[in-house]
Amino acid sequence: MDAQFLVSLTLIVATFGLYIGIALYNKAKATSDFYVAGRGVPPVFNGMAIGADWMSAASFIGLAGTVMILGYDGLAYIMGWTGGYLLLTFLLAPQLRKYGRYTVPEFIGDRYRSNTARLIAAVATIIISFTYSVGQLSGSGVVIGRLLEVNAAVGTLIGVVLIAFYSALGGMKGITWTQVAQYVVLIIAYLIPVIFMAMQLTGNPMPWVSYGQVVDEMRALDQDLGITEYIVPFTEGTKWQFLALMFTLMAGTAGLPHVIVRFYTVSTMKAARWSGAWALLFIGLLYLSAPAYAAFSRFILMTQVAGSSINDLPAWTASWVDTGLLSVADTNGDNILQWQEIVISNDIVVMATPEIANLGIFVIGLMAAGAMAAALSTAGGLMIAISAALSHDIYFRSINPNASEKKRLLVGRWSIVIATVVAGLVALNPPGAITQIVAWAFALASGSFFPALLLGVWWKRSNGPGVIWGMVVGLSVTLGYIFAAKFGGFTILGIIDTGAGVFGASAAILTNIIVSLATKEPVKEVQEEVIDLRYPEQMTYRDGEVWMDDTEDIPNSTK
Amino acid sequence: MKKIEKSVADAYFRARTTMIIIYLTIGVIVSYGVVLFAEPLSQITFNGFPLHYYMGAQGAILTFIILLFINAVVSDKIDKKYGIDAKRNESISAGKTYDH
Repeated sequence: MDAQFLVSLTLIVATFGLYIGIALYNKAKATSDFYVAGRGVPPVFNGMAIGADWMSAASFIGLAGTVMILGYDGLAYIMGWTGGYLLLTFLLAPQLRKYGRYTVPEFIGDRYRSNTARLIAAVATIIISFTYSVGQLSGSGVVIGRLLEVNAAVGTLIGVVLIAFYSALGGMKGITWTQVAQYVVLIIAYLIPVIFMAMQLTGNPMPWVSYGQVVDEMRALDQDLGITEYIVPFTEGTKWQFLALMFTLMAGTAGLPHVIVRFYTVSTMKAARWSGAWALLFIGLLYLSAPAYAAFSRFILMTQVAGSSINDLPAWTASWVDTGLLSVADTNGDNILQWQEIVISNDIVVMATPEIANLGIFVIGLMAAGAMAAALSTAGGLMIAISAALSHDIYFRSINPNASEKKRLLVGRWSIVIATVVAGLVALNPPGAITQIVAWAFALASGSFFPALLLGVWWKRSNGPGVIWGMVVGLSVTLGYIFAAKFGGFTILGIIDTGAGVFGASAAILTNIIVSLATKEPVKEVQEEVIDLRYPEQMTYRDGEVWMDDTEDIPNSTK
Repeated sequence: MKKIEKSVADAYFRARTTMIIIYLTIGVIVSYGVVLFAEPLSQITFNGFPLHYYMGAQGAILTFIILLFINAVVSDKIDKKYGIDAKRNESISAGKTYDH
């Protein structure tokens, strides 16, 4: 129990108190109608909530580390995870909002008039959100493990208990304002260390404009060491892997159920467009800073840690070695720690850097609180998506349509607890780095939901059999490719497991089109619904004609 | 309710879709395009960075954000031109959200 532990713990407990306070305060006011409360949220704040929902442990803890280890090749994550908002906002979100359903499987089931399609979509939601939450749990394990100075596995177990409790509590009510608070905490926590490091290293408090010179200095350092330079492209994989990964992340973003659901709670198609724009602005703040973070961390490690005597390493190394995620072995026995002898896990770079750069206990504590905010807000959204798929789309709509409200809630709660515990067990021995696990979730989403939603919104001829076979083939191809590439060493053009979505998505789109054309076209009503999505709410498409609702709007007419 | 000429409705859809195609094309060029030509672009330096790195780390994201805001503003303008009333849309869609 040292000062650092107390400061970190105090900050985490204080921010938790804030989130719970906000949730309770809003609950009291919003019990009457969750959706009205949702509509009262202006796009700016909805954008922040989407940001918190979106920026997970992978973004917060893993991203800068991934960029640091992979160099230029890590930027596929930066462009992929931001570019997805273009696809989402331009091609899907406003239309899905106009269609007006509660979950993504529900849209697919109703648009394609197929219960089978809804069930497949519900199962896909569960698989995707589950994979994603494994990444969140192993992320919170890193944070808790460091905080309590225990192994990351023990940290993961503690995280399971926290997240199960938090989701069961927060999941049942409108959590938008809690997520706004979580966004503010996590972005402050992320930016402060980068700004401090920018001042230390470059004398300029604007990391975004100043880290170019650090990148430039590293080039010389790399050349001296005779290792591949940081900014040289395609050192970790082929150019095709870079492109495939970027596509997978973009299409996956546009198909992630827990993100799309956020666009259902805005008021109009117009609000969906603005929410998307604000969301990417807020998300961009972190994504623009991550490469700066990566460059500064690497520079400090190379210049201040590498080259020191092995018996005289800074105190922070010992506590990170304990978590099992850092190794500093003097392999060549010269008593000096060389850069090549530092083996640092992607996942600890962000958490360790404030200590490495000696930024003080307050900043380190703030990082812990920010990382917990990121993991919790995303885990909350994921658990709600899993529980909605199980209790609403599968249990209520297919198994027991007469289930009482109480029974459905019970099923929802239990599904959260079970999903969290199982995800936690998988996360004990994570099958990859956080960003990698999360990339698999995106590959699955881009192989199933992205094609189903894209064709569902833009192509009226696409029908039930088309979407069923599309999703089945897309998921099989994606899963098959992930396993073949990860365990069988099978690759096409050097594209590895994380880029599997490009094959899944193409296979799903092709299958959907071919099967749709080979089978009967959808009923007229469905085709009209799809054409109707071209127009704003006021225009309605019916029997080949467009009608405009030109009645004078009476303010508050809905209340 | 008043009927709108099919040509007017089609023009609305075409205007919106054309803009989206333009935005997506720009988005693809600054991300996929730059990656495809990363090696030649790395010879150019911008703000201390080789250009391919700058575009990946900052340029593409800034472009994406700007495109999304342009889309929001331009779509509102198109809506206005076709006499769409944002307030009326809110009332209409308020009654449409499914609640089970």
